[in-house]
Amino acid sequence: MAAPVTLAGPRPRAGRLLLSVRPPGTLVAGAAILLLFLICAIFPGWVAPYDPLEFDYMAIMNPPTWAHPFGTDNFGRDMLSRTIWAAQVDLQIAIFSTLFPAIFGTLAGCLFGYFGGWPDAVFRRLVDIIVTIPFVVLVIAIVAVLGPGLLNMYIAISAVGWIIYARLMRAEIISQMRRDYAAAGLVMGYGRLRIIFRHLLPNAISPIVVYWMTDMSLAILLGSSLGYLGLGAQPPTAEWGVLIADGKNFMTTAWWMSIFPGFAIVLAGMGFSLLGDGMAALLRRRA
Amino acid sequence: MHLAGILGRRLGQIAVTVLVVAVLVFLLMRMLPGDPAIMLLGDRATDADIERLRAELRVDEPIAAQFGEFLLRMVTLHFGDSISMRIPVSRLILDRLPVTLMLTGMAAVLALLISVPLAFVAALRQGGWVDAAIRVFAQLSVSMPVFYIGLVLLITLAAGLRWFPVGGIGESFWEDLYYLFLPALTLALSLAAILLRNLRESLIEVMHAEYVGFATAKGLPHGLVLRRHVLRNAWVSTVTLLGLQIGSLVGGAVITETVFAIPGIGRLMIDSIFARDYAVVQGLTVVLAVMVSIVFLALDAIQAMLDPRLGT
Repeated sequence: MAAPVTLAGPRPRAGRLLLSVRPPGTLVAGAAILLLFLICAIFPGWVAPYDPLEFDYMAIMNPPTWAHPFGTDNFGRDMLSRTIWAAQVDLQIAIFSTLFPAIFGTLAGCLFGYFGGWPDAVFRRLVDIIVTIPFVVLVIAIVAVLGPGLLNMYIAISAVGWIIYARLMRAEIISQMRRDYAAAGLVMGYGRLRIIFRHLLPNAISPIVVYWMTDMSLAILLGSSLGYLGLGAQPPTAEWGVLIADGKNFMTTAWWMSIFPGFAIVLAGMGFSLLGDGMAALLRRRA
Repeated sequence: MHLAGILGRRLGQIAVTVLVVAVLVFLLMRMLPGDPAIMLLGDRATDADIERLRAELRVDEPIAAQFGEFLLRMVTLHFGDSISMRIPVSRLILDRLPVTLMLTGMAAVLALLISVPLAFVAALRQGGWVDAAIRVFAQLSVSMPVFYIGLVLLITLAAGLRWFPVGGIGESFWEDLYYLFLPALTLALSLAAILLRNLRESLIEVMHAEYVGFATAKGLPHGLVLRRHVLRNAWVSTVTLLGLQIGSLVGGAVITETVFAIPGIGRLMIDSIFARDYAVVQGLTVVLAVMVSIVFLALDAIQAMLDPRLGT
């Protein structure tokens, strides 16, 4: 018994307003890809056909077959299952290495942009300097000092990454400040912090959110690269970059060991970047 | 001449940048637990060696004196000795630098050779299937980590078809060109995708500009319009972007050199990290920052030449 669906209402609700705009194809594609990875990350035991750690000495370094679509490794472990289990670690990398930069960078950008003064001048010099040092080299140098591992990798990426968010936010806040509504808030006697966080921030946040999506795809690329170099996730943690590094030694005899985990990196990276492109398109259309 | 002014300002900025990098490196090394002298010399050092380096580094003096000494050593390229290789760090870096410069140079050239024609075709056939295919190629290359592109090329072209060596470098310049082709292509592919996207956008934008319509209307041949009016204006943003990407090119070189076992400074950096050879890591970080700064300087000059408005 279906309840009658009434389309005509007194006021369009927020949810309907969102749906009334047909979402861009890139947004849908990106979201679908990420949903797939999210399922793999949350229910790996349910999605993966085998136990990722179970040795099978009868099936060592088997090429891809129907039983093992991604082949098996030098211990007979199923590569598809290992790749699926690794989604947990790589999605965690995407989130943990961008969360602090996004939040802290946004807040810092608001304050630098709104208040200006010498802290802002110092910040601008810092930006000039940071762009001069290759990001990867800087992160590698910091990890070198702290020691390899996931936590230290997050610390290294966060220590540098927030600057990009802050630069973006600073520029947005400065352009929003010139609008009438910001002056109106001041005339009405609102506090500065209220104006910044209740009025300016919500209007300035869209480019940050779009960049955040792109940044998550960059984080997966960087995280897996550090894993490959042995500076990020440490074996036996199954991470895509680590899996590829494991397979590199068998490059000539068992190419599938490194090639297939790479598919996951490419697909996840594309998922985040499509989602970012789609969001940007949606925002442009609304504006 | 305003160009001189711009370059002068840039030189000042480079000095500040390198100074700050030096401060950061200095602080990072001092943040580590333990005595810097013991750390730089490693576990196998004798007490006499440690005492000598402690005196050289002025470890027992105030932090300002230590920093002054550190700066003096950086400026005079006295980065100390490598503990794992037992030769001066500056010698080591100078030995390894040419390979990395050649690799990144080849990569930049290849990236332009790939991206410029493809961007032109995509822009001229905007909306068609060729354009779509080129954009998919760009999207794929951007989503692939450098080490993975390298491995795919290694597995297919080197290990599989045996067209290229699986790693290392040659004995002569011409052999190096051959040995470094695959690594350079690896780096070029990820760079080309970024350049391609940008150049395609700006070509499309410029093609719709009034002065291009005017050039066509006055009867100039299509090819000439494209070369003299469209390309020249679309170049500026591409050259800027290429310069801005130098940082990621150098970062990519670190990874590519590891994948292809190329004895350049990138591989040296990774090896030194695992060998806990901090004197090398410290020297390399400073050298890389200087290198990228010099590229930024050159970029400003090239930009001013391409777009006379920027120089006046």
